[in-house]
Amino acid sequence: MPQLDKDPIDPEIAATLDAIDATLAGEPVDGRFAEVAEIALLLASERPQVPPAFAESMDAKVQRRFAPLDGKARRFGAGGPRKRRRWSGVWQGTGAVAAGAAAIVAIAVVAGGGHGASSGASSSAAAGAPLRSLSSASPANGSGSATSAHSVPARAPSESGSAANGSAAGSAASVPPIVQPPTSGRKVVQGAQLNLSAAANRVEAVAQEIYNVVGQANGIVENSSVTQGGPGAGANFQLSLPSGGLAETMSQLSTLNYAQVVSRTDSSQDITDQYGATTRALADARALRTSLLKQLANATTTEQVDSLNAQIHDAEASISSDQATLNRLNHSVNYSEVYVTVAAKSGPVPASHGGGGFTIGRAAHDAGRVLTVAAGVALIAIAALTPVALVVALVWWVGSALKRRRREQALDSV
Amino acid sequence: MDPGSARSQGVSETLTAPASQTRDTSWERFESLYRSSRDDVYAYVSTLLRDPAAAEDVTALAFERAYRRRRTFDRRRGEERAWLFGIARNAALDELRRRRRVVTLVTDPEDAATADADDAEVALRRTAVQNALAKLPAREREIVALKFHAGMSNAELAGVLGVSESNAGTLLYRTMEKLRKACNATA
Repeated sequence: MPQLDKDPIDPEIAATLDAIDATLAGEPVDGRFAEVAEIALLLASERPQVPPAFAESMDAKVQRRFAPLDGKARRFGAGGPRKRRRWSGVWQGTGAVAAGAAAIVAIAVVAGGGHGASSGASSSAAAGAPLRSLSSASPANGSGSATSAHSVPARAPSESGSAANGSAAGSAASVPPIVQPPTSGRKVVQGAQLNLSAAANRVEAVAQEIYNVVGQANGIVENSSVTQGGPGAGANFQLSLPSGGLAETMSQLSTLNYAQVVSRTDSSQDITDQYGATTRALADARALRTSLLKQLANATTTEQVDSLNAQIHDAEASISSDQATLNRLNHSVNYSEVYVTVAAKSGPVPASHGGGGFTIGRAAHDAGRVLTVAAGVALIAIAALTPVALVVALVWWVGSALKRRRREQALDSV
Repeated sequence: MDPGSARSQGVSETLTAPASQTRDTSWERFESLYRSSRDDVYAYVSTLLRDPAAAEDVTALAFERAYRRRRTFDRRRGEERAWLFGIARNAALDELRRRRRVVTLVTDPEDAATADADDAEVALRRTAVQNALAKLPAREREIVALKFHAGMSNAELAGVLGVSESNAGTLLYRTMEKLRKACNATA
């Protein structure tokens, strides 16, 4: 590409150049340029003429568009185009290998990033890779308490099963099961804390779903508060759920539409000893009462009667107290306290991923997720390829400069 | 819109080229370029290499490369002719680099009939110019080849050499001055 003129040409030089051009065009020139004009004409007459045989050969070659003749070796381009094609293949192969390596790196990063990102509860929901941090102390022997905390991701729509319809099978893949201590013959109080997140405009829908699940489970909403709209949108529930179906109910609460599980904490407390002691105290009190009643029947004096009545009153108070304690313990065992919080978040929440079949919304969500992952893979691939491309570009630039320099040197050496 | 209503009155020829003609315009452009530049490229390469046989090889190679790359040509970067001569120049320089030797053959032997036709003074001047041209460095001989044998304008010459037009004109002027002095010294 011609460079831009920075300095105007000398008038004498310009006049000479004009004279040369005029001479070559067959036009007359000023007498002071006669010598230059003569040299120009002589130089033009020295123009090498194309040999007719070569012209004919070239015409034929162009007519067949430089296709090689069958059975004849190529005469021209010793190592030229053929060598270039070979190098072109090498470059193409190198590019394919680089692209493949970049894709592998990107996939590895994406796969690895899924585990790494799930170290936090909130990020694990987006990463889509389940991770569970579990700490528990077995209460199997004697009284004790156990707590297990789960950070579970939102379930992908494709993984949605029939949990909302009463089966937890579909959610088994992504929602961790309730950690329950062995309860055979023992009295265990269970509890759970479930933290959900949902879009601000979905809080009401999530709250209604929670009501529905509790109703289906024959549970009790002991306390609830739902705030809609604004930055403080959210909901809190204190539930009392039948312990027999706690696992299934928790599974349903963990797979609500429009809500993602941020964290879940399961707790248990073995109260077998306390229950036994209360039962024994109640039996003793009843036995005492029966004995006092018999003594009262045989009492003969007013003082005896009064004393026995007082003891019977105390025994009945003890019976009532123990019975109440026993009833409370039974209720605690039969009904688990579950706290559910729904926090509104500003980011987009996937559309319904609860039970049900194929829907446009779910398909759109799947498509968006696929595109997001694809874009992430492409971005990482670009990041991996960029330094390689820079090195290749640098090598190419240096190679081109060296080649150009050698060509110019070849011109100077002749 | 009715296509007929937009037409000018009195236009009887269609401006739409047949499909067969619009299918491969790059080939047509290349063929046209070949027809108009074949002799010029050969003359330029032959003067630069001073070897007719090598000039044939390099000319053929240059056109083959131009054919292969015809779709990569970008008109915004210059004219097709300058692009073609750039390819030819690279091929010629590669040939020079490969050979790494000075070719002693200056030009084809003079045609006796032509020599007879010239008068003695013109023949003398012609010989002087030939000798002066033979003694020029390759870089200046290339300028002569591009200007007088390939028939390039100063702008085209600048495009091939990758310099400004005024720079190309100055180089041409200096080369002509050197030739003129050499011819006068011979005389």
